[in-house]
Amino acid sequence: MTAELYCRGITKHLGGRPILQSLDLDVKAGEVVSLLGASGSGKTTLLRCIAGLIEPDSGSIVIDGKTVFGGAQPVAAEKRRIGMVFQDYALWPHMTVAGNLAFALQSQNLSASEIHTRVEHALELARLVPLRHRHPSELSGGQQQRVAIARCIAARPSLMLFDEPLSNLDAALREDMRTEMMDLVRHEGLTVVYVTHDQSEAMAVSDRIAVMRDGILAQFAPPQTLYDRPANAFVAGFIGGFSALPGCVTAHHFTPDGTTHALPVSETSDGQGFLVLRPEDARSPESHPDLCLSGRVAARAYQGRCWRLTLEIGTTRIKIDWPSGVELGQELSFSLPPDRRLIVNH
Amino acid sequence: MASTAFVYLVFFLLIGLPLVLVLMQVIFADVFDPTQPNLHISFGPLSRIFIVPRVYSAILHSVELASLVGVLATLLGGAFALIVQRCDIPLRKTVGVIPWIAFLTPAYLKTVAWVLLMSPGGYLSEFGLLPPLTGSLFFAFPGLALIHTLGLFPFATFIIGTALRGLGSEMEDAARLGGVPLWRVWLRINLPLLAPALALSFIAIFAQVLSDFGLASTIARMSNFNVLTYEIYAATSSYPIDFPLAGTQSLVLLLLVTLAVLVDRLLRRKDDLKLISGRSRPSRDYRLGHWRWLITGLALLVALLALFLPIGAVIIRALTRTLSDGMALHNFTLANIIEASSLHSPAFAALLNSLRYAGLGAIISCAAAVLLALQLEGPGKFMRSSVMSLALASVAIPGIVFGFGYILMWNRLPIFRDSLFPHYGDSSLLITGYVGVAVPYALIVIMAAIGQLAPSLNESAKLFGAGTFRRVMRITLPLIALSILTAFMLNFIHIMFELPVSQMLIPRTESPAPIYILRLLNYDKDGLACALSLISMLIAGGASLVLWLAFRWFAARNGAATNGKWISTPSLAGDVQ
Repeated sequence: MTAELYCRGITKHLGGRPILQSLDLDVKAGEVVSLLGASGSGKTTLLRCIAGLIEPDSGSIVIDGKTVFGGAQPVAAEKRRIGMVFQDYALWPHMTVAGNLAFALQSQNLSASEIHTRVEHALELARLVPLRHRHPSELSGGQQQRVAIARCIAARPSLMLFDEPLSNLDAALREDMRTEMMDLVRHEGLTVVYVTHDQSEAMAVSDRIAVMRDGILAQFAPPQTLYDRPANAFVAGFIGGFSALPGCVTAHHFTPDGTTHALPVSETSDGQGFLVLRPEDARSPESHPDLCLSGRVAARAYQGRCWRLTLEIGTTRIKIDWPSGVELGQELSFSLPPDRRLIVNH
Repeated sequence: MASTAFVYLVFFLLIGLPLVLVLMQVIFADVFDPTQPNLHISFGPLSRIFIVPRVYSAILHSVELASLVGVLATLLGGAFALIVQRCDIPLRKTVGVIPWIAFLTPAYLKTVAWVLLMSPGGYLSEFGLLPPLTGSLFFAFPGLALIHTLGLFPFATFIIGTALRGLGSEMEDAARLGGVPLWRVWLRINLPLLAPALALSFIAIFAQVLSDFGLASTIARMSNFNVLTYEIYAATSSYPIDFPLAGTQSLVLLLLVTLAVLVDRLLRRKDDLKLISGRSRPSRDYRLGHWRWLITGLALLVALLALFLPIGAVIIRALTRTLSDGMALHNFTLANIIEASSLHSPAFAALLNSLRYAGLGAIISCAAAVLLALQLEGPGKFMRSSVMSLALASVAIPGIVFGFGYILMWNRLPIFRDSLFPHYGDSSLLITGYVGVAVPYALIVIMAAIGQLAPSLNESAKLFGAGTFRRVMRITLPLIALSILTAFMLNFIHIMFELPVSQMLIPRTESPAPIYILRLLNYDKDGLACALSLISMLIAGGASLVLWLAFRWFAARNGAATNGKWISTPSLAGDVQ
């Protein structure tokens, strides 16, 4: 039931603009991979290429060992055995919940008893049995989303695609639904490609995350690797609200732009670079007296457990978490743990 | 590519080619000469615009009438919109319904009614309400302007009403809090902001008056106030037949309408930007004090003139023997109604013909529009929007020009003239003409409905393995069923009361009801004409109601869409049908 997915050299132009640029993506069977990126980064286009809803200009796509694009003849979307949960769920409004599930199966020419069994199983799994006779307009956003997932589960696709499935839900419901949705997916052991622009959502659901920028993969790695070792300033900026402080590396020392104070780093190559600063990494100057930076407090916001301070270091603003609220305009020194002095390129 | 070519071919054959043939004559005057057709270029027909008094007077009359009615109907419609939306008048809801009913009443019925009311010996003079001179004044420019204004003011109410709703009262409130008096607020804030809607309303009504054939062939003709549409008809039907002249006049008419449509398109774009705001709150009402009674009285007077008087006149005339005996008791009879509804009378035969034409025309045009719209689902947005623009432009083409184009195409072009179906002179060509006029309307309604379906509804069905036919039958068609029905009813009623194409393509036998009614009027059988009009209206309305109820019943059983809502029904065993 679960399938591997290989995308090789996928290129796609829309309106003369390159959207995907020779992109490679491998997803193992049973793995959940997120495509994370800002709008216009090409993540939805890639998802639709995999689904067969649009055709890439070049490249190849292999699902479950079968070349669905790039071979002799592209395999039509309806023949790829892919399930997709759309951003707007795409529930057929004139059919009941059970009707929505059954229609998807009737197209596969299954026997009536097989359809019945599958519909019952999916309804039960998604806790939709009491809602089976309702129409989509009579359901809440969360319930509609469960129907969309149950519809895919009933169809037993080899690969399941999610196109920002939580973006229509309010913040309070989003986390509950995310957990519930991923429980269902993991329970069925499905291979999943999940599109989102929300890094915390990607971190929570994925085995690996593909960070996309301008149609290429900026980094493709497990969440922890992205967090610990972002490949460049863009990924660092996209993940966890990190700040990327520009400066110059000379003889194992990093000097932020617009300052003269140098911070010892382990980087060997000299030249321009960015120091990745995670808000939670800031320590008192006494903790690591040799590894200090300082800046002027430009803004502050109380966040319960700590204060989020915006500091101006040279010409750049960075964010750190600090135990006390410091007066605006005051100069503040902080230190970084030795293992948190990561220098990356642009 | 094949689907694109198919869509263009249908448009070309139904609309494009007839138009091209009409316009060709402006340059190639002898192209359809029955004895010696040739392609000699001649500017003779074009020069007649400036030389022949009857031609340039028709152009001037048309523009003059359309301009005056554009202004008057915009003022009246705008006033209606304002009092219904922003004033604390009594009977507000009733007054709000008046433009809708006026809009839905067939135009030529109102024309017939005004003839009955205003002619010497008509109902108004019978009651002494009509001073002797008024009648002769009425059957002239002022009367035409009045009837057009009373018939077309609902357009202005709808357009300006929408703009007023979008405007809200926040900008007005801000100015008034700054101490600006109300009259100045209207002069400097509201009116400039409503200007695009006012202009739009003027243009829409201007184009409607230019294209009108009903009044042109009745009151305008009776008043010797010649207008373009009737002149085109006259040039093609009275001896000596003058096709090049009809072509030239059609060109002028098309240019005027196209100009109006172009300005309309431009303004709509501007209007959208300016007035659509999701932030506007419902506006406050103006308190009119004692004036509100006078204002309501005036609104009801308009209702009396636009609705009750004409419909009342038609009903009374249908139930009486002669117009001259007026409403004397002995004059009342059911003879007209009985004749118009007895199975073997020619009047009832004409009604049956119209019902058949309208049914067939509406079915074919809707089926063609559904097929075209589905063909357009695949190609890109550009194709869809260009076909939509083509359809919108086609709607504005005056029916009389269409009819003329069909005559040229099916009577003069050998390849079409010799075809067995549709054939010039019989009902098959009339139905084809109706379809040509109706397809753009149906296409607009159905394409708009398909455009509102989220693409993901079809895409998800596709991913679940549903093929094209299954997707169309199970997803698209059920979801646009209401729009197909709307398009059908719109076209059914439109064809039932269509006049210009009916007049131009009238079959040798089996005349449609509108033409038969006109003929009855010409032979002074206006009682029977009114009875037939009333019965036509009742049957067309009744048939639409029956269809609507049948659809609701069917939808309730199958969970399809009605009124944009989804009917919830207990479904069968797990819906695993």
